[in-house]
Amino acid sequence: MIFGRRLKNSINLFSVVSVIAGMLIIVPMLNILVELFSPASDTWRHIQTHLLRGYIVNTLLLIGFVAVFSASIGLFTAYVVTRFDFKGRRLLSWLLILPLAVPSYIAAYTYADMLSYTGTFSRALRAIGLRHGINIMTLPGAVFIFVMTLYPYVYMMVKSALEKQSASFTENARLLGASKFRSFFTIVLPLLRPALVAGTLLVVLETLNDYGVVAYFNVRVFSFAIFDAWERLGDISAAIRLSAVLMVIVFAIIFLERFLRGKRRYTLHVKNRPILRKPLVGLNRYLLPGSLWLIMLFAFFIPLFQLFYYARLTYRHVLDISFIYLVINSLTLAITATFLTILIALMIANFNRGRQSAFKRGLLKVTNLGYAIPGAVIAIAVIVFFIDIDHALYPLYRLFNPDTGRLVLTTSLAMLTFAFVLRFMAIGYNSIEAAYDKVGEKFTEAAYSLNHSKVSTLIRVDLPLIKSGLISAAIIVFIDIIKELPLTLILRPTNYDTLASRVFRYAREEMLQESAVPSLFLIAISTLLIYILTHQKKKGVRIHVRKS
Amino acid sequence: MYVKVENLDFKYTSDEEVLYDITFTMNEGEVVAILGSSGSGKSTLLRLLSGLEIPNQGSIVIDEKTLCSAEHFVECERRSVGMVFQDYALFPHMTVAKNIAFGLKGITKEAKSNRVDEMLKLVNMEEKKHVYPHELSGGQQQRIALARALAPSPSILLLDEPFSNLDADLKLKIRQELRLIMKTTQMTAIFVTHDYDDAAEIADRIVYLENGHIVHEEVPKKH
Repeated sequence: MIFGRRLKNSINLFSVVSVIAGMLIIVPMLNILVELFSPASDTWRHIQTHLLRGYIVNTLLLIGFVAVFSASIGLFTAYVVTRFDFKGRRLLSWLLILPLAVPSYIAAYTYADMLSYTGTFSRALRAIGLRHGINIMTLPGAVFIFVMTLYPYVYMMVKSALEKQSASFTENARLLGASKFRSFFTIVLPLLRPALVAGTLLVVLETLNDYGVVAYFNVRVFSFAIFDAWERLGDISAAIRLSAVLMVIVFAIIFLERFLRGKRRYTLHVKNRPILRKPLVGLNRYLLPGSLWLIMLFAFFIPLFQLFYYARLTYRHVLDISFIYLVINSLTLAITATFLTILIALMIANFNRGRQSAFKRGLLKVTNLGYAIPGAVIAIAVIVFFIDIDHALYPLYRLFNPDTGRLVLTTSLAMLTFAFVLRFMAIGYNSIEAAYDKVGEKFTEAAYSLNHSKVSTLIRVDLPLIKSGLISAAIIVFIDIIKELPLTLILRPTNYDTLASRVFRYAREEMLQESAVPSLFLIAISTLLIYILTHQKKKGVRIHVRKS
Repeated sequence: MYVKVENLDFKYTSDEEVLYDITFTMNEGEVVAILGSSGSGKSTLLRLLSGLEIPNQGSIVIDEKTLCSAEHFVECERRSVGMVFQDYALFPHMTVAKNIAFGLKGITKEAKSNRVDEMLKLVNMEEKKHVYPHELSGGQQQRIALARALAPSPSILLLDEPFSNLDADLKLKIRQELRLIMKTTQMTAIFVTHDYDDAAEIADRIVYLENGHIVHEEVPKKH
């Protein structure tokens, strides 16, 4: 009786959209699991016997090194800008985020070209009678590219945690006789663990998601293998099995982290007394800021200068009417997918407010699944799902057009848009949820008590209050979508290009100089949005809520 | 005199809180309350005694050791001063036992474990040895913070508003417990508060602080 009443009460726009969205995310993933039970193909047996071990070893080596170096650089940069005062600190504290605007594959093409025999760097060295033996198109080279373009995830998370860390803990440690060194390693660092792990996990997931770098450098990791099985060997069943193994690795990493964390917590309610920044003295005045500028140089300025140089050589024949279409394609696709992602994430966030239940928690886990699963896996799952839908809807298609082909949705942009929404839902959702957390539920409850419906409350009360969180969410999702490569490559309709896929095509055809203009466009859009993102936070509605 | 503070002056760079010419002495085992309103400089005084801030001038001598003078400054980690923070600041990632053992150095593992048990017994919290701070109530957290500060046998114990985070009922109970612990351990202690009843209950002497000046001293009448 009570259950029935509760169920009836909880059926509304938000819950219905949330449940449908959850199902649309979970069904393609289940498809992959079901496919695992079909008989194995010869290709899979070949992969299993000769290649699988190499894929696993390479993947683990790649993510292991990328994780260690990104965590170290992210921690170092965040610590220096939050704990010390020096000239240029404010500028550096947001510049250090900018490498995120450079897609890994663009950095890879640029460095590979610069360091090639005819590249700028090699030529400059030869001019003064020197040579270098650097071969960047290797696994260590890929590690370098990923670390340089992805460390900002760790930097941002750790910086935010350091800014919130209360001085009480370190002061207490020192009063109990701990040296600065001991208090850093026993108190500051362990308390940063959640931020450090979350940032590093994002870096690892992005590395597993990449296809552009590993394909160009020929580093045989999982995403490379999945594309290879799908495109070259034409065996979707083998691609699905590889995807399943990769998913096992991803979930093993996530569970291992949870297991190691155990019962421990890293926060406790203490009065937030910020730690005062110390001025740098002695040699450190030059060494620490110098090292930050050096990281910026390798992660941002060198690729950027090189791209500008190439763009100057090629812009005349790259910038034509087809380029304008390319920009329009990229923008309309990214705007549409961002809008849908944010809209659905908003519905789910609304559904998840209020009384918690096992169902809601389950739905939340499903919603967050997309970001953990590499693009190549999602692409395969979505394509199988859409082929099934097209088969089911074929009779309907024929009613409207007797000459229709069997695959309608599968050959349209709907499939790519769907995949974007699925993959980036977690990012949109988490930003919106964080905004809702800050506001609390009091205003919403007040509106309900004044006889406003759920939708009216959302539009008139909630949206204005979480506006800045919503904008942040949209910006982050937009940047991710416009840079995205693996999903776009597999799922775009024939002859449909975006800036990202055009850059990839130029690189594959060894036309790196031509790739400069679209690359710069991508970097410029992302840089502008990152600037807005980092500078809009200070504004926004001020809310005072008495904590009960 | 066990504690001798002379002509202590202090100013934050932002000029928001200042202490002028603070001079007072304490006997060994004495408990002194610094009573003052918010912004009077009482927490700053504790930070100067503990070595977390450097005074502009003046000297601090505890147990015949000069901690601070015109030509001498002992860093906070070498002062052997115990402090219980207003928000307790228990390390959230360590169990109760590890929190208490944190300040114990240069002794064997067994001696450490014995000292932890001794401290837990003192604050009557033996059964919470292996739990994490977030699993404790406010009053329990405060007792562990006290045990942690006492464990290394500091030469003096400083308590910053020890009852400000507690409910009224709990406050009365903890206040009595604290007094008992002070007397059992014969610890020389300074605690700051804005509440006269707290000061009168626990302290042997009350020092009044107003706008950075010591304005009055008295021996409280016990209830």
